[in-house]
Parts: sequence; C-alpha cells; structure tokens
Amino acid sequence: MTGGVRTVPARLQSSRERVELILSQLDRLPTLPAVAARLLSVTTSNESCARDVVDIVESDPSLTAAVLNMVRRADLGASGQINTVQRAVTALGFRAVRNAVLSVHVYSALPHADASGNERQASARRELWKHSLAVACTADMLAERMNGFEAKDQAFVCGLLHDVGKIALDACLPKSAARVFARVDADRECICDAERELFGLDHTVAGKHLVTRWQLPETITESVWFHHQDPQALPSSVTSPQLVRLIHLADNVVREQRIGFSGYQHVADIKACAEALKIKHTAVDDVVEGLPARMEPLCALVGLDEFISQAIYTESLSKANRELGIVNSELAESQRVLELRARCFEALKQFTECLTVRAGIADVCTAAAGCVQAALDADGAVGFVCDATSRCMYVGRSGPSDTGGPSASIIEVGDKENRDVLGAAVAVVLERKIGEAPQGCELIWRRCMDLPAPGPIWMLSFAKTDAMVGAVLFVVGDDVVARWRGAELECHALSSAFERAVSSAQLRVESERMNEELLDLNRRLSTAQRALVRGRSISMIAEMAAGAAHELNNPMSVISGRAQMAMATSEDAELTQTLKLVKDKAHEASQIVTDLMHFAKPRAARPLTRELGKLLESCCQRWQARFALEQGRLTRTVDDPQATVCADPDQLQEILDAVVTNAVEACDPESLRLQVNSRSRESDETVRIVIEDNGAGMSPEVLEHAFDPFFSSRPAGRGRGLGLSRAYRLAEINGGCLWLESTLNVGTTVIIELPAHAPIS
Amino acid sequence: MLDVGTKSVYTTGEVAQICKVSQQTVIRCFDSGRLKGFRVPGSRFRRIPRDSLISFMKANQIPMDQLDSGRKRVLVVDDDEAIVEMFTELLERDGRFEVRTASTGYDAGILTEQFLPDVMLLDFKLPDINGTAVCRTIRANPKHEHIKIIAISGVADPDEVDELHMAGADEFIRKPFDINKVINRVADLVNAA
Repeated sequence: MTGGVRTVPARLQSSRERVELILSQLDRLPTLPAVAARLLSVTTSNESCARDVVDIVESDPSLTAAVLNMVRRADLGASGQINTVQRAVTALGFRAVRNAVLSVHVYSALPHADASGNERQASARRELWKHSLAVACTADMLAERMNGFEAKDQAFVCGLLHDVGKIALDACLPKSAARVFARVDADRECICDAERELFGLDHTVAGKHLVTRWQLPETITESVWFHHQDPQALPSSVTSPQLVRLIHLADNVVREQRIGFSGYQHVADIKACAEALKIKHTAVDDVVEGLPARMEPLCALVGLDEFISQAIYTESLSKANRELGIVNSELAESQRVLELRARCFEALKQFTECLTVRAGIADVCTAAAGCVQAALDADGAVGFVCDATSRCMYVGRSGPSDTGGPSASIIEVGDKENRDVLGAAVAVVLERKIGEAPQGCELIWRRCMDLPAPGPIWMLSFAKTDAMVGAVLFVVGDDVVARWRGAELECHALSSAFERAVSSAQLRVESERMNEELLDLNRRLSTAQRALVRGRSISMIAEMAAGAAHELNNPMSVISGRAQMAMATSEDAELTQTLKLVKDKAHEASQIVTDLMHFAKPRAARPLTRELGKLLESCCQRWQARFALEQGRLTRTVDDPQATVCADPDQLQEILDAVVTNAVEACDPESLRLQVNSRSRESDETVRIVIEDNGAGMSPEVLEHAFDPFFSSRPAGRGRGLGLSRAYRLAEINGGCLWLESTLNVGTTVIIELPAHAPIS
Repeated sequence: MLDVGTKSVYTTGEVAQICKVSQQTVIRCFDSGRLKGFRVPGSRFRRIPRDSLISFMKANQIPMDQLDSGRKRVLVVDDDEAIVEMFTELLERDGRFEVRTASTGYDAGILTEQFLPDVMLLDFKLPDINGTAVCRTIRANPKHEHIKIIAISGVADPDEVDELHMAGADEFIRKPFDINKVINRVADLVNAA
C-alpha cells in the first residue's frame, strides 16, 4: 500500500494547497551535514576503502570519540589497545563503522527528541528512531544472508532512511504529526491513510521529496517511496527491486518484533516476503536474535541507549501481551460468530440443494424446517406458510427419523376465524428474529408431528405480509436460542432465503395455474369459435333455406298440380303411375327444403316441466310399437323417479325420436339392444337422458361430422341426414346439449342433457 | 242471354230485368235515392254500380239468381303465372266457379271491390305486400266479411301461419298441394257461407 501513486480523494481537493505548503516546508529542512553526504557517496561507491572512511571520521573529533566509544561497548577484547580510528575500523569492520557514522549524522541532521516537543511527542520520536535503526540493522543483516545480492552496502542506509518522510512531516507539522500518531495508535488505522487524510500526502511521498532534494542515490529514493508497496507489485521502473523488497521485509520484521514504533501498519506475511528474496526463514530468525546486539552500540551512539537491551524486550513483550489478550478475546468472539455463520451457511447450502425447480410451497416449508434444524441443531422443526387467499396452510416438517423424517403436506385451516387467530399470533413475533412461538403454533406442531412438542417451541418468522404469514417452529436448548438471538444477520439470511423460496414457489404455482387457465380459456375459445362458425353457417342455411322453400315450392306446386290434373284425365294406367311418381317426388323435394329450413330455424321452444320417468315410459311404449321391437330389446332405467325435465314437449319428443330412429337404423334388428337411462346431474340442475345402442358405431371421422346437416353414413339417398343435426339444434334451443360417444363396431351412446327445472326469472 | 251477372255497372233497363220489375220502378227507386248510382256526365242516363245493386236487392229481398248466375266467384291472387293459370283451369273446369286473377296485392284489393269474390286463394308472398297485409285490408271493410280467404304459401312458418289466421285468413294450404283437397276446401267454404 503506498500513497505515492494514489489520487487524492475528491473531498481532499482543497488540501492540494496544503500539500504544496508541506513540500515547500520540506525544502526548508536542513540538509545532511557535509560529512554525512561525503560518507554516503563513499559508501555507495564500490571502490570506497577503509582509508576514506577513516579520513572522514578523523576529520570530526566528536565522531572519532563516538566511534572509539562504540568499539569499547562492543567489547572487542583489549579495548584499550584500540585507540585510533584506523584500528577501530579494522576491529569492527568497515561497514560497522560506516553505519555508525551514518546513523549519527542522519540523526543529528533531522529533528529528534529535543526540548521543543512535549514528552509524549519526544517519546514518539524516539520510538520512530528506534524503529529506523532497527530496520537499518535488520536490512543490513539480512543483506549479508542473501547470496549474490549486489546492493549489500546500501541496505543499511536505505533501512535507516526508509521512514524519513515521517520525520520530515513531524518536523514540518509537529502538531498534525502528533495527531496522526495518536489516531493510528488508538484506532489501529493504517498510518498512510491517516496521513493522507490529514496532510494530503503520506510519508512515503514526503520522504521521496526530501531524499530527492538531498540528492541521494536513486536506490534510497525507491526504498523510501515504495517500502509499503506490495513487493510483488512494484512498478517496472524500479531499478533495484530486490533492495526495495529487502527494506519491506526488514520493516515488517521489526514491526513484528515491536522494536520502536512507527505508526500502525498491517504486518505483511514475513515468510512469503523472505521466500521472495530467497532468504531462509531460519536466517530471519537468526537476524532477529542478533538484532539487539547489533542495535545496542548504534542506539548508544545517538543517545537512545537507555532503551536498549532487556528493557526494550520487557516493554515490548508486555505491550504485545496486552494486545494479544485483546486480540485473543476478539478472536474468540469472531470465531463464535464465524462458527454460527458457517453453520448457517452450510444449512442454507443444504436448503438450496434440496429445493428443486418444481418445489411447491409445502416443499419449501419442509426444506426450511430442515435448514433450521441443521443450523440450530434443533430436535425438530416445522415450517409453515399460511396464505390469506387460500383456505389452507402449507406445512413441512423435519424431525428425528423416529417421527417419520421430513414430509410436506397441506392442511385445511378451516374457517376464516381460525386463520385470523393464527395470523394475529404469528404477527406478534418480531420479523426475521427468533422468538417464542405464540400459542396457536402448538396446534400446528401437533398436527405436523403427531406428537406434542418436547419443549418450549421457538419460532423464526420469515414472512409477515397481509397476504402471507410464514415461520419455522423448532424445539431447541436455551443456550442455542441465547446464541442465535444475537445473530441477527444469520437469522435474516435464513429468513430471507426462506421468504424468497416461498415467493418463487408461489409465483411458479401461480404461473402454472394461470397457464392452466389459459389452456382452458383457449379450449373454450376454440369451442366457442367452432360454435360461432357453426352458428353462422346455420343462420346462413336458415336464410337460404327459407328463400329456397319459397322459390322452389312454386314450381313444385305447378309440377305437382299439373301432374295431378293430368292424372285425373289419364286413361293410361302406366302414365297415371308416372304422374303419381312426379307428384310424390315433387312433394319430397319440397319437404327436404322445408326440413332444412326447420333445422336451421326451429320455432322457439315453449318449455314445460314434466316428470322425466313418465315421459320416457310413454316414449318407450311408442318406440316399441313403431319399430316393432321384441320384448327385451329396449330397456329403460330411471335413477331418480322424482326427476323432472324442462323442455318443449314436442321438441323433446322430436329429439328422442330422432336419436332412437338413428339407433334402430344403425343396428342389426336381430341383435339390437337399446338402453334408455335417465340420470340427475350434480346439484340437480340438469338431467341426462342416455341412449345407448349396440349398433355399428362410428369411426372418429364419422363422429366428427355426425351433426352436420345432410351428413349420413348410410348409402346416399337413404335418409336425409337431418335427424341428429336437428336433435342437436333442438337440444340447444331448449337450453341443453347433446353429444355422442361412439366406438366402431361396439355401439354409440347419445347423451342428452337438459335443464331439470324452469329457470327462475 | 245477356251476361248481366258479371257486369260492374248496370243501366236501369238491365236492373229492371235482373230484379224482374218495371224500368219505371227502377227509375223511381234511383231518383228517390233508394237505389244508389250516378248519371253519365253530360247526359241524363242513370247508371247503377254492381255493389249498390246487390245492396238494393238484398235490402228489398229480391232473389239474386239473375245476378250471380249460380256460380261462385273465386279470386286467385299469385304472382306466379303458372300457378294462376293452373288454378284458373282447375276451377273453371270444375264448372262451379267463376274465376278472376290478380298478381299483386294492389290488384287483389281493386278486384275485391269490383268482383266481390266469395273465395280468395291468396298467395302469402306477393311482390308488393304480403298475404297478411292483404287479409287485414279486406277484413277492415265489414262489407267483405263474407269473403273466405285461403292463404297459400311455399313456406309454412308456424309464426307466419299464426299471423295469417290472426289477420283473418280462414284456411292455410302449403305448396305443393293436393289439387282435389284444394277444390274441396274451396267448395266447402263457399257452401258454409
């Protein structure tokens, strides 16, 4: 995380000027003393030699004293013998001396714990210096353990200066810097974010500006600028990424060790960082172990020695312990929450899995019950949905296997009052929370489980609208309830999942119902359309037939009349016979047209209510005589002797005659069996007369045209084919209907349905 | 003999002959207004229309045998010429009937006034007005109460038949028909009158 490449949020636009101001103030900071600058240029050059360093040190008496003091403290054998810088360099090693000198100079060049600030701020500054020194030492030591790392010499400098931005910001705006420190300490906020918010830029950017101004080498600038950057995501322009990564690692190692304090920052994964640099983890451990020894002389050099050695560890340890305690309790809490959440998640997963696309509302209830049982480890659970629009309640249970396992069903809730009581009871419970189930729920439990509840029933409601009430009832231990009562998020997750599942099931059921309705409507529409077409063609036939009757009957009567007149005077028997034929055929032709007209335009029905049984009895007697039927050929059953039929008597007779004539003609007289039954229909509003024969039956093709006028399956010229169509028409105008069921070679059943009573007007 | 029976306007001499009284008596009756009639314009000749003669004869109980010549008058109304022709031939051949024909409702009305038929064979469907209207018009005049009307139609719509009866038709016969039945019905109705 780095602030260098981040854009300033919109709300900070006004602080642009502030950034400018800070940067200009940085310019006013003292430059490094000439000695340090020289030293830096010496160290960064590979050709630097001990002599140069010695010269530099010796040119500064206080520095000479400091180095010799350092050698003494390092306790390198006969300290008395080392009394020249040259010998100290030899004894300590060139780099150690150089590092010591650098530390002193950088420290003295930048503000440190002087008298100007208050104690708290001074302490913070000391901590920051300690951190910087520790990082410098760590980086230096780690660099030694890196094979083939070329920039070993620069590790210390870069580590020392990596947080120079913080020091610079502190120097420019000490009060704001103190606020930043206080804030990140209290809120565990990342220091970069806090800096950006308060200053408009963070320490990496400020440091980069400072280091650039000091004209320090590019490697140092990069370390300062990118040391918070994710080591895997460095810009490609970085010249020595390894060095930047090393500083990043050292920074994190020191943070982890809590040596000094440089403002809160999340500690990166040290192991991963070390591996990226091909540093063994044991090497890191070694470095950490050797760190105090390495730091001590340096701290003494810059006057931070009172914090070194055991004291620093005791302090950091107790501090770490305190924080660890807090973190532990936080962890325990979050683990508890996570555990609950994991259970909830697992249960929800099951819930989703066991819901198929075709799941109905009751199935959703079962799944919800199972989900709650799994999530809360309940003894049993019952899910229910009470739909205000339907008179039933959907329930699903999930219980121990000895209760029969999960099942879904739909219970009749009965009268509205019951539902209202239940609805009101459910509505009492807080939405989407766990609470005690209201009293009515005991009933639901018992009906679902066939057993009384083994303990107090708890409830998680998931739907509470005017149209629908839904909840899951369950029995569970008090401790579980206590834990779940606080888990609002989880309760909410469960209940909203249930609600959504129920509504989608509802939608599906609704859409299926609408689909079925649509199908039914379509069917009715096509029936109506057929009837319309039929009606239209019938009325056309009626008009045509009436016209034809008028027009045809005039010539017919002339033909017939003239034939009759000729007959009266004819002496020739053969001629008389012919003339009679002419007359008869003329009358027959006329009758066809008349029949057609009557079919299309029957006279209005004059319905009368009659006893159906008696009526059929007289009809049967008539048919027996007319068709000369043997005994037993015609049977008649009446299921309700009281049943009545309301129809025009003449027309009803015509209907029955037509049907029976048809039946008799379709049967072989030798084997004819004719059955006439009457049945009262549901709600007694209609009666049916069923006439069944065992004749030739009809093929589906014939059946389809059975009611067409002039359609006859008999050979052409025999019968006019108007009987059934007329019967159909007459049934229709008497407020009833007539239809056929027929199987070829088995027989035909004609069903005539007519009103049982006169309509109440 | 002069066919006075079928004339529509008579002279006083003819009336005297039909009524078997002197011409002077006829003139006296005419002049006194008991025998309705008119004078030929521009002359003094008296003329008596057939219907006023019949009314006069009936009022004075003078036997009508000289006037109607014993045959019943039948008016056939139909727009189909073949039918009219057939009826005419049929009825005339029978000998008992005197036949006049009309092809429209309008003609039927005029002939009813002039010819005073005993029986009318009336086709229901006429080019101008239908049979029901003709029936109604005839029945509206009490003078024609005695006319028997036989409605004939190619279509026996029960409602129309009912309407015809309501309008005053005595009989309904559907086309085509049995000719003997028609003749018998006509004769029956005439004799019943």
